[in-house]
Amino acid sequence: MTSASLFAELRSELNVLVTLAQADLRARYGRGGFRIVKWLLDPFALLGIYLILVTFVLDRPGTAPGLSLACAIVPFQLVMATVTNATGAIHARESIILNMKFDRSLIPAATVLTETVAFVASLSMIALMMIAYRVEPTPALVWYPAVFVVNVALAAGIAYPAALFGLWFRELRVFAISLVRAMFFLAPGLVPLAAASSTAESVLRFNPLTGLFEAYRDVFLFGTSPSAFDLLYPLGIGLVLLAVFVPVYRSEQAQFAKVVE
Amino acid sequence: MSAAAITADGIDVRFLFDRYRRVITPTIARLRGHVTEAWGLQDVSFSIGPGEGVALIGPSGSGKTTLLRLLAGVLAPDGGRLVVQGQIGSLLSVKAGLLPTLTGRENAELLAVLGGLSRAEARSSIDRIREESRLGDAFERPVSAFSQGMRARLGFAVANQLEPSILLLDEVHEALDHEFRDEVDRVAQRILSQGGIVVAAGHDHAMLARLSTRALLLRGGRIEEDGEFASVRADYLNEP
Repeated sequence: MTSASLFAELRSELNVLVTLAQADLRARYGRGGFRIVKWLLDPFALLGIYLILVTFVLDRPGTAPGLSLACAIVPFQLVMATVTNATGAIHARESIILNMKFDRSLIPAATVLTETVAFVASLSMIALMMIAYRVEPTPALVWYPAVFVVNVALAAGIAYPAALFGLWFRELRVFAISLVRAMFFLAPGLVPLAAASSTAESVLRFNPLTGLFEAYRDVFLFGTSPSAFDLLYPLGIGLVLLAVFVPVYRSEQAQFAKVVE
Repeated sequence: MSAAAITADGIDVRFLFDRYRRVITPTIARLRGHVTEAWGLQDVSFSIGPGEGVALIGPSGSGKTTLLRLLAGVLAPDGGRLVVQGQIGSLLSVKAGLLPTLTGRENAELLAVLGGLSRAEARSSIDRIREESRLGDAFERPVSAFSQGMRARLGFAVANQLEPSILLLDEVHEALDHEFRDEVDRVAQRILSQGGIVVAAGHDHAMLARLSTRALLLRGGRIEEDGEFASVRADYLNEP
């Protein structure tokens, strides 16, 4: 393949990816100027009330508990929403899968792109919590792009097995979503890792969400650089999942039209 | 228009079922017991050259839709060799490839990009699609409110914008009104006169006769007869 034809193919794939995600976003947020408002308010409807409760109503111990919690539930929301979307993504596109040829491996990638766009709005909740607790931004914020990339990579890694799971075990989709939700509670979501016992800490470290949550807290709450392990472990898990499941997905995609109908 | 050609050499399509008769993929079949199989197509060979209109006829479940999906690249053969040369335009499902939550316009843009147009080309073709689909104001409404015929018209208008050299039509075109059937005829004849290929399946033999000079009679996933349309049709109708 020449570099020109490779470039043309990549551009065509990018076109399809963006268009699939755009279709998803239109279905979710509607059309017109109001969609921006809906996009901004959506995360508050999903998570905001819980944060408000923790921050302004409940008297919880620890440093800025509402912000600490936001540093877990915001990145988790990207992973969770991606899994929820991906497990139904193939069946949701049944009509186009049955009608025309296109690269079906872009479907999970499109769900990641859709959820990433949705996720950006939820960062406003972290900003709101920082204001509520008078936590000032520090130079550690320069680490956020790296943390963001790790967050997206982990979501992308989970998207492919989630899409396959939804195809293979459609009736167990809700179970898969509950399983991912359980991962939140098997990570330092409600309290920072430092508040856990040393035994629990050594176990929780194996959960890729742990590093992610801690990295968010380092950047937004404690104003320190995230540790290399906190970034590299979830990134590595995401990349391993992609390396394992993208080929499996690609080998299965020729079967989609048989299964979705 | 690029030269169109289709060659199928001993192609098979196999469906695997679990104990509840749900279709499963080979990967899952390896993990589960009680797997049964059925052949959607078995040892199917034929070739179609430029300018040929071919009808697929046969009883329900004979493999017509499976064969059209193979030609469209929607399915891959489990065995044999299939070569399809040419730009494909297809209308293969009752849902016409449309997503119900999107409007006609949004669906048109999505399908045009999936069909190979750039996003800019897709956007610039929207007015033509709107005009050709004759949906009027409904074009701006969600497709969930469309009738089957409206969906088929939109799907066909998008397929036509892709400038296909191979047009694939399943029974869904039978949902079209007479006025739009004439449009399908006109587009099909244009494709054939330019050296393209039209393959259509259905039970409306009068319509198939207008699109095809040749027919493949399918039964049980195999080609039982391949020949001149009127002759194959007569044999099909005369058989018990």
